[in-house]
Amino acid sequence: MTMNRTIETDSQEAFIEEIEKVQDVLPKRIDANSKNVEKGLAKLVLTLVELIRKLLEKQAMRRIEGGSLSEEEIEGIGETLMKLENKMKELKEIFGLKDEELNLNLGPLGDLM
Amino acid sequence: MKVYAYGIINSNPEGIVLPIPFKEGTNSGMDEPLSGLGEASVYNIPYRDIAVIVSELSDEAKEKTDTYILEHERIVERLMESFTVLPMRFLTVFNTKEDLLGMAELYYEDFKDNLARLYNKVEFGMKVIWPADTIKQRIVDVYHKPEGDGLASYSQSHKTKHNVSISTESPAKTFVKEKFQEHIIEKEFQEEANRCIQVVDDYFNRIACEKKLKRLQTESLLLNASYLVDKDRQNEFKQAFEQLKNAPSDLKFLFSGPWPCYNFINLTKKPSSVDYFNTEDMLNRLLAQQGFAQERNSV
Repeated sequence: MTMNRTIETDSQEAFIEEIEKVQDVLPKRIDANSKNVEKGLAKLVLTLVELIRKLLEKQAMRRIEGGSLSEEEIEGIGETLMKLENKMKELKEIFGLKDEELNLNLGPLGDLM
Repeated sequence: MKVYAYGIINSNPEGIVLPIPFKEGTNSGMDEPLSGLGEASVYNIPYRDIAVIVSELSDEAKEKTDTYILEHERIVERLMESFTVLPMRFLTVFNTKEDLLGMAELYYEDFKDNLARLYNKVEFGMKVIWPADTIKQRIVDVYHKPEGDGLASYSQSHKTKHNVSISTESPAKTFVKEKFQEHIIEKEFQEEANRCIQVVDDYFNRIACEKKLKRLQTESLLLNASYLVDKDRQNEFKQAFEQLKNAPSDLKFLFSGPWPCYNFINLTKKPSSVDYFNTEDMLNRLLAQQGFAQERNSV
C-alpha cells in the first residue's frame, strides 16, 4: 500500500461481525417477482403499519412520561397498543416475516426504522 | 464498449484525451500507464477542465466485478498520489461515453466545488464497539434498585426524572407499565450512547475539518465515524487516536486511514436515479477484504 495506511484494532472478530450486520441491513429492497410479490407487498404494507404502531407507542410513552394522562386514558392506550401488537404478530406469522425484515432502505436517508 | 469510472480529477483546460492521466497542474502524464479492471488501460475522458478517469469494461470482466474492489481502490489511490480525486462508487459503469459526459455536465459545478473542498484532504475511519449488554443491564439494575442503595444519587435522579406510577390492576395497564419501562431504559441507553460518543469525538473534533458520525448502527456498534483531515495533520490525528486508545475504557476501536475521501462528496444537485457517490459501505467492504487481510500480514 502506497499511502502508509494504519489499520488498527484490538478486536478484529467483533468488528467483522458488526460490519457484516450493518451491510446486511443496508441493501434491502423489495424484490417483486411473480413468486414472491405477495410477500413483498405484505412486507411493504406491514413495514408502514409497524412504523405507525411504533410512532403511536412512542407518543403514548411521552405522554405518560409527561404525566398528562388519566388512569382511564392509560387503560385505553394499553388496550389499543396490546391489540395492535398482537395483530402485528399474527400478520408477521402469516406472511413469514421477521422483525428485522420490516424496514425500508431510504438510500441516503438511511433506514426507515 | 462500456466504460468503468474510477473517479474525477481536475484536468488540463485544453481537455485533450490522453492515454494516461495528466499530473495536476502540469502537462505531463503520470510516470507510467495504469492498468485497471481486467488489465484494461486507464485513461481520462475530459469535460471542460475536469476529467473522469475510466477504463473500458469487457463483457467477461463484468462477470468478475465483485472481486475488483481492490483494483478499484488501487487505481483511486494511485490517482491520489498526484491529484485531488473524487472517488466514484465501486462498480460505476456507463453504457457509452456520451452517458458519462452527460453526468459530468450535470454535476460539473458540484464536482468543481468538491475538488476545491477536498484538496489536500484524506479520510480516516473510526469505529467503536461498546459493551451494549453490560450498559443496558446497568441501566436496568439502576431502574429496579430500591432508593438509597448503591448508586443512590444516580438512581434517585433517575427515578425522580421518570417518576411515573402506573398501577398493574388490569392487563392493559400492566402492558403499558412494561412498555414504559422499556421506553425509559431505551432512553437512558440512547443518552448514555450520546455521552460516550461525545467523549470519543472530542479527541478528534478539533483536528478534523469535517466529520460524519453514524451512531448505533447496531446496538454494539456505538459509533461509525468518518473524519476528513488535512494531509498535513495526519500525524496529529493518529496521535489523538493513540491517546484515546490508551485512556482507560471498555470500548473497542477500529481505526483506519488515510483513505480516499469516500464519504465527503456533497452534491447539491439532486442525484438522479443513479447514485455515483453513495460510497458509504466502501470502507466496510475494503476493511473486510483488504484491511484485515493487510493487518494479518503485518502482524
